[in-house]
Amino acid sequence: MLSWSVAAPAVIAAFFASLVEVIEAFTIVLAVGTLRGWRPAAFGTATGLAVLAAAVLGFGPLLDRVPIQLLQLVIGILLLLFGMGWLRKAALRGAGVIPLRDENAIFATESAHLGEEVRHRRASLDWIAGITAFKAVVLEGLEVVFIVIAVGAGRGLLVPASLGALAACGLVLIVGAIVHRPLSRVPENILKFGVGVMLSAFGVFWTGEGLGVAWPGHDMALIAFAALFLAAGLLASALARRQNAGAAP
Amino acid sequence: MTMLNEVLAELIGMFLADARLTAAILAVVALSAILIRFGGIDPLISGGVLLGSCLAVLVENVRHSGRRRHSP
Repeated sequence: MLSWSVAAPAVIAAFFASLVEVIEAFTIVLAVGTLRGWRPAAFGTATGLAVLAAAVLGFGPLLDRVPIQLLQLVIGILLLLFGMGWLRKAALRGAGVIPLRDENAIFATESAHLGEEVRHRRASLDWIAGITAFKAVVLEGLEVVFIVIAVGAGRGLLVPASLGALAACGLVLIVGAIVHRPLSRVPENILKFGVGVMLSAFGVFWTGEGLGVAWPGHDMALIAFAALFLAAGLLASALARRQNAGAAP
Repeated sequence: MTMLNEVLAELIGMFLADARLTAAILAVVALSAILIRFGGIDPLISGGVLLGSCLAVLVENVRHSGRRRHSP
């Protein structure tokens, strides 16, 4: 029987990471739906989800054939690269060194880009709209698929992690359907910062286990790692903010 | 083909967003592996090196990126 204390870190990490990605995909699908109607938007989204599901079903079983220690090492390194990349970017955005992501601006840009595409190519409007939605779902969904596999595969938690990601999809769809505009009020950088902390903690944990380290406290070590990455991220952001303020005219 | 290129670019960008950060992380993992495999050091100490180095790499990389953006 799977205990909540074991599954919780994977479910929470998958939920919040997926929330960030689904919000980004939703902005583009919303632009498509608003400009060309919901039929091409829904068709592109459904096709994109089918491609992602096929990727998971195709590659998932292959992971069972990889020795567990090698799998932990490879996934741990990929999580370190991915998670620390997110944490770095969120820290720089928090410090004001790089601009925050603006869903309203992306919605406007995507709408203008879609209109331009249609004028130049003179192809079927619905086709272009459907492809745009498909691309958004596949490109953002790739990250969700990686995160679900990465936080779930090392401990046989693929199903709970997938449920965390599906819950995020459901939440964005429900809220998006109600407000019917880009979800620009979600504190995306804070979410990204938190997810970067969790994925980096998972990365150190799996990489260490893959190298043969028996962490004291087993899974509870993840909490200590997350606290340390949170402190390091906040410190890095504060130092960069101070530099930024010092360099301002 | 464009679509495939975009998917590949997205995959590469997921893990190699910043070359300096990527190189530092890979070096830290390699160092920890060498300490365990050839250094005869207790794996838990190597694990501590891995964790501490990753934290240091993060702080240094963010500081460096902030400095680079302001250099003339």
